[in-house]
Amino acid sequence: MNNILEVKNLNVKFDTAQGEITAVNNISFNINKGKCIGIAGESGSGKTQTFFSITGILSDNGKATGEVNFNNLNLLELSESELSKIRGKDIGFIFQDPMTSLTPHMKIGDQLTEVSIYHEKKSKSESIKKAKEVLDKVRLPRINNLIKKYPHELSGGMRQRVMIGISLMCNPQLIIADEPTTALDVTTQKDILKIFNDLQKEEITIALITHDIGVLAEASDRIIIMNEGSIVEKGKTSKVLVTPEHDYTKHLLSCVPEWLK
Amino acid sequence: MINNNEELIKKALSVKGTSLLSDAFKRLIKNKASLSGLVILSIITLLSIFGPYFLKFDFYETDWNSIYLPPDFESGHYFGTDGNGRDLLVRILYGGRLSLTIGIIATLVSVLIGVSYGTISGFFGGKLDITMMRIVEILYAMPYLIFVIILMVIFGRNIYLLFLAIGAVEWLTMARIVRGQTISIKEKEFIEASRSLGQSSLIIILKHIIPNLAGTIIVYITLMVPSVIILESFLSFLGLGVQEPLTSWGVLISEGSRDMETAWWLLIFPGLFMVLTLASLNFIGDGLRDALDPKDY
Amino acid sequence: MIQLLFKRLTIAIPTLIIIIAFVFFLMRLAPGGPFTNERALPPEIEQKINEAYDLDKPIIHQFGLYLSKTLKGDLGPSYKYKDFTVNELIASGFPVSITLGLLALILSLSLGCLLGIIAAIKKNTAIDYTVMGVSLVGICVPSFVLAPILSLIFGLYFGLLPISGWGNGSVYNLILPVISLSLPQIAIISRMMRASTIEVLNSDFIKTAKSKGLSKNRIIRKHVIRASILPIIDYLAPATAGLMTGSIIIEQIFGLPGIGRYFVVGALQRDYTLVSGVMILYASLLMFLILISDILRALLDPRVKIND
Repeated sequence: MNNILEVKNLNVKFDTAQGEITAVNNISFNINKGKCIGIAGESGSGKTQTFFSITGILSDNGKATGEVNFNNLNLLELSESELSKIRGKDIGFIFQDPMTSLTPHMKIGDQLTEVSIYHEKKSKSESIKKAKEVLDKVRLPRINNLIKKYPHELSGGMRQRVMIGISLMCNPQLIIADEPTTALDVTTQKDILKIFNDLQKEEITIALITHDIGVLAEASDRIIIMNEGSIVEKGKTSKVLVTPEHDYTKHLLSCVPEWLK
Repeated sequence: MINNNEELIKKALSVKGTSLLSDAFKRLIKNKASLSGLVILSIITLLSIFGPYFLKFDFYETDWNSIYLPPDFESGHYFGTDGNGRDLLVRILYGGRLSLTIGIIATLVSVLIGVSYGTISGFFGGKLDITMMRIVEILYAMPYLIFVIILMVIFGRNIYLLFLAIGAVEWLTMARIVRGQTISIKEKEFIEASRSLGQSSLIIILKHIIPNLAGTIIVYITLMVPSVIILESFLSFLGLGVQEPLTSWGVLISEGSRDMETAWWLLIFPGLFMVLTLASLNFIGDGLRDALDPKDY
Repeated sequence: MIQLLFKRLTIAIPTLIIIIAFVFFLMRLAPGGPFTNERALPPEIEQKINEAYDLDKPIIHQFGLYLSKTLKGDLGPSYKYKDFTVNELIASGFPVSITLGLLALILSLSLGCLLGIIAAIKKNTAIDYTVMGVSLVGICVPSFVLAPILSLIFGLYFGLLPISGWGNGSVYNLILPVISLSLPQIAIISRMMRASTIEVLNSDFIKTAKSKGLSKNRIIRKHVIRASILPIIDYLAPATAGLMTGSIIIEQIFGLPGIGRYFVVGALQRDYTLVSGVMILYASLLMFLILISDILRALLDPRVKIND
């Protein structure tokens, strides 16, 4: 079993005005290389915070403890400068709301190229070449004009594809997608999932966080169900969705219309 | 495991809701800055209203034997005297009455104008809104002091005119904010509901929109009063504000800064009162704003 | 861009005309003013006023003449200073005021933005509290309290700086007035910038920038600043209005022979023409500044449609 990510006893706590809140409670799981693992759960279940803590983008009042092994490194023990070399390069991130996730005053091209210029010290022209390749991969048309456009000139679906493109600029091993299709309509959703499928064929591992069971059923090989900071069930998607064991999973699935199953 | 659903429901019910107001109040009190602001402001207000009754001097009482006296406990002139032998403390308290009164009244005038303007503009929208807001935009960039001065030059130094003039200049911010809020409240469903029930626009504005604006209005009142006080002080400082025998902090500071080399107390004490009042109002306003519009950290 | 300029001008010019009209009719209402019957004027001025305002012609005609004269820049004779026109008085004060104003504006904007960004980045640390404390002083201590105190400390006790007079534009004479004038604006701008930067730092696109692994320095330079400075551009015109207001006080306190001083003297002496002339001047300057801030906004925010 080739694991790209091994999480052991991860705890994430937040210091708030109401005291200390535990968002993630001692969870452990592995992600196999080249697979797509789905992480499901309601809002507040801790699924997003898990991955924020892995990549070091927790908000200032959060603290993560435990072990997160990636490429033989415990990410939680790395300093910020060491971690920032991995973030955006080996691990890519895609966020939920494409309408607000891109910098409004920077051209698309610049937002793409800055990643490889910064991490791989590439020249501007090399980066532009890579940007065009990447946009091709995410199936965006009319590439030449796109590089010079601003985010507000693109639709939500196009912006989300640019986001995926950004995460691909430095040939990542792992892409974490946080509710990537939630803000999109169903047809665009399908396109995005197709792109994920293509990426998997190139041995890129995908962690797909979502509360949409339909998306999970279609896209993920294995699935983790989280509730209130703990992992409630995990296993092969086909097994968990058809024969759930835990009550919470059953409850979650009962909310899905019959015909979808 | 058997009763998992029941447990879930029990858990959901056990989360206690807090009303928005009590939540806001609790947060306001917790905020040390706004609490101290409230305390200091209350002290100053009470002193201004009731203080003079406990002091032995009147604010216009001149005593040519005691001019320019430094602060002195024994003579009863706790804050010293000015060039006419008038007791400074009593004058500061009287000045406080005036400055605070102008602050409140002029602010109320602005609120009245601003809220009416803003709700009408925001509620009816369309071309009316665009025109009204253009006017505000233009007026917003006018040097207001100059405008008020011109009014005072032309119509004389009447104290009631002062209230009106200052109020008439400060309503712009309120109008803008009220209009913004009105627009977002207007979009909410309960407005559509009352409209479909056939309520007239005026009733909708009065019964539904304005109560929802209350929080914002209160916050901005506390932030507007300081700038009104400063505006009045500017005018008085230049000699265009209140006239003798009335006095305000602006007048006192103006006199004080002229004599500051020989009689520092004439500048420092009125200045101190003014600064404390302004700071308190700002803290209270900030605290109210945080309390009514919660954002994490 | 041309379209934006054009659109702005079509608003600015009528506004100016309205202001001029406003001043015109206000003057005619003024008791004891040049246009009432109880004029007790020395004959020289009375004659000049009659000439300048063509008082025997119908009022619309008068307005037309006043308007055209004013738009050409002729602001009429001073009501109180027998031998001077308003233009001459303003011209003598202009260099002083413009130097004071420009320096204060530059200082306010640069220092305000800088402090605001620093406070936002170092939120809830000692640096943040210090910056916010200083800004509180600027807001709560009015300039006419602060300026004398600063004069007292630096001028009299330490004898470092002159406390009044223009000194023919010497740098030393400028320091106290410029600082006293800018402080309230520095306070306001730094607060605004801090709030705006905090909001930007919490926004989604900064989250994305962080997830790219970019250095903090780069994120701030390329992603944060341009986004957080936008509200300040909207504040440019009100800031200038605030500086204009403040300069009246500052010129008075420091005895600087600028337009503000003439304005106050004119107000106290009821020199209506002088006072209204100054008002028109200030209004025109502000219109100009609103135009500039619109252009700046269009340049910095690609979402602003240039052909609105």
